[in-house]
Amino acid sequence: MFAQVFGSTILGLNGMLITVEVDVSNGIPGLDIVGLPDASVRESRERVKAAIKNSGFEFPTRRITVNLAPADIRKDSSGLDLPIAIGILAASGQIPAASCTRTAFVAELSLEGKLRGVSGLLSMAMNSIANRLAEIIVAPDNAREALIAGKFTVYAPATLEQIVSHLREESKLAAVVNNQKVVEEQWHNEDFSEVQGQMTAKRALEIAAAGGHNVLMIGPPGSGKTMLARRITTILPPMIRQEALEVTKIYSAAGLFKSHNIITIRPFRSPHHTVSQAGMIGGGSIPRPGEVTLSHNGVLFLDELPEFPRAVLEVLRQPMEDGEVHISRVNAALAYPAEFMLIAAMNPCPCGYATDTEKQCTCSLNEIRRYIKKISGPLLDRIDLHVHVPRPSYTELIANMPAESSAQIAERVSEARKIQLRRLEKFSIACNAQMGHKHLKATCQLTDEAQMILKQAFTKMNLSARSYDRMVKVARTIADLSQADRIDAVHISEAISFRNHLQPL
Amino acid sequence: MNHLELGEQGEQLAVDFLKKQGYRLLARRFRTKIGEIDIIVKKGGMIVFVEVKTRRSSLFGTPAQAVNRRKQDKIINTAFKYLNYTNNTGVPIRFDILEIMITGESTAVCNHIINAFGR
Repeated sequence: MFAQVFGSTILGLNGMLITVEVDVSNGIPGLDIVGLPDASVRESRERVKAAIKNSGFEFPTRRITVNLAPADIRKDSSGLDLPIAIGILAASGQIPAASCTRTAFVAELSLEGKLRGVSGLLSMAMNSIANRLAEIIVAPDNAREALIAGKFTVYAPATLEQIVSHLREESKLAAVVNNQKVVEEQWHNEDFSEVQGQMTAKRALEIAAAGGHNVLMIGPPGSGKTMLARRITTILPPMIRQEALEVTKIYSAAGLFKSHNIITIRPFRSPHHTVSQAGMIGGGSIPRPGEVTLSHNGVLFLDELPEFPRAVLEVLRQPMEDGEVHISRVNAALAYPAEFMLIAAMNPCPCGYATDTEKQCTCSLNEIRRYIKKISGPLLDRIDLHVHVPRPSYTELIANMPAESSAQIAERVSEARKIQLRRLEKFSIACNAQMGHKHLKATCQLTDEAQMILKQAFTKMNLSARSYDRMVKVARTIADLSQADRIDAVHISEAISFRNHLQPL
Repeated sequence: MNHLELGEQGEQLAVDFLKKQGYRLLARRFRTKIGEIDIIVKKGGMIVFVEVKTRRSSLFGTPAQAVNRRKQDKIINTAFKYLNYTNNTGVPIRFDILEIMITGESTAVCNHIINAFGR
């Protein structure tokens, strides 16, 4: 007796439809799973056996063969428990085989027969829709995630027993409906108005937020670098639906999706400097997303930049340039999106006071040089905005003058983004930082005066072709912030002023 | 009473027990070069191979625990021989363990483990 049921697994960020074929025949009683199952799938034997028995159904004392097609891709998701169990019940005639041809089943089973949620469900659900399945049966924990995927019928029963009586048409399940309003409002408990002074740094962060540029903040300890960086999410423009969906997919695949609705706040990741290469860009025998992917469409904040192992920083180069990472391992070669904004903070020297106007630096020139050398030139080249964050003076610190609030800055940022979006829509990119050289040529007109200044800077500062491009991109964002059509001398000068501050040391 | 007599007594109890449950006896002590099957019975179209384990106490573990992987393989292979021998290759089969605990002079407890093992 044979039955076929649809399940789903995840490869990278994309769901993959798995056809679970079950054959029940005479022979030595036993359950065999073929089709490259990974450990978690092979273990489902025991879970399925116990769940079927404990839900009051009969586990056939026959030879049972389960095939997971396509057979050449390694499957590693406990979500295949449910389709295997349903397949066995259908093949042994306990439920009508015709009842489950249009349904995807994705859930882990407990020994008791209860359904448990799995990670990556959003991608699986979206893939099931793409494969023209009409409904999906998931665990109650996953119900909201399945609803995000789009228009299709979602059932979220608590037990295997309920599914069986649904398929036998004894008692129909009620489809889950989205009755919770989408909360668009972003709520932060931090605000830029809490940071006194630091006008240049704030300006740099505003430009960065507006154009999606990378920032390096250099300053003595305790000057507010970390405080500033943490507040950047409060001024970033809200994500459009497509971006939000991408981010939600990533967090779902990584098993970090905890909220009830689509993620609307841009991610802010701040890995500790002991992070490994694999932790940074992703890895594993089936590669899992790393920090760069988790900060996709958001901010990757690296505090104490020179403390990171050099190898870890160097792997950032390719994703910073391409906006995605390609990871090849024995079992799979995957591409993960990594369109992030890098914000880095560091001290100018080991003691931290090399740039301070009052406190004496106690480092030797060699020590400073060695410290700065930890960050390679190519990496610095990719950071568009360098900014000094000096220690605030006493008068600045106790000043009661209200600083600009995040909301005010965010408004300017979002205006600038709108201008960019209008201009770059035809290239299907969202912000200035994502522009390539050809987009630059098409969209960035400089005034003659600006051209002159740029020419001077290029020869004087020995700029690379890449830093030229990056400088023009920053100038474009500055122009967008002042709602100017062409890039003027002021804009380009400001962009140049944010250029590499580490070299003169 | 030595261990052989104990086993014989246990098997007799097992046959009586199975018959009472509606099983039809097909063979007892089916032996081949590979191994031996204590009892072979049939019920509802399914052939059941039963391994009987008799104990006087569970001091050395439950009787069923004595049927380890090696013993299971022996029984399975012998079962194949039996099926071939009797031209029964297309029939559903099952492997059971019957624990017999002799508790007193004339009392015994039976524990029938249905579908105890397979592959």
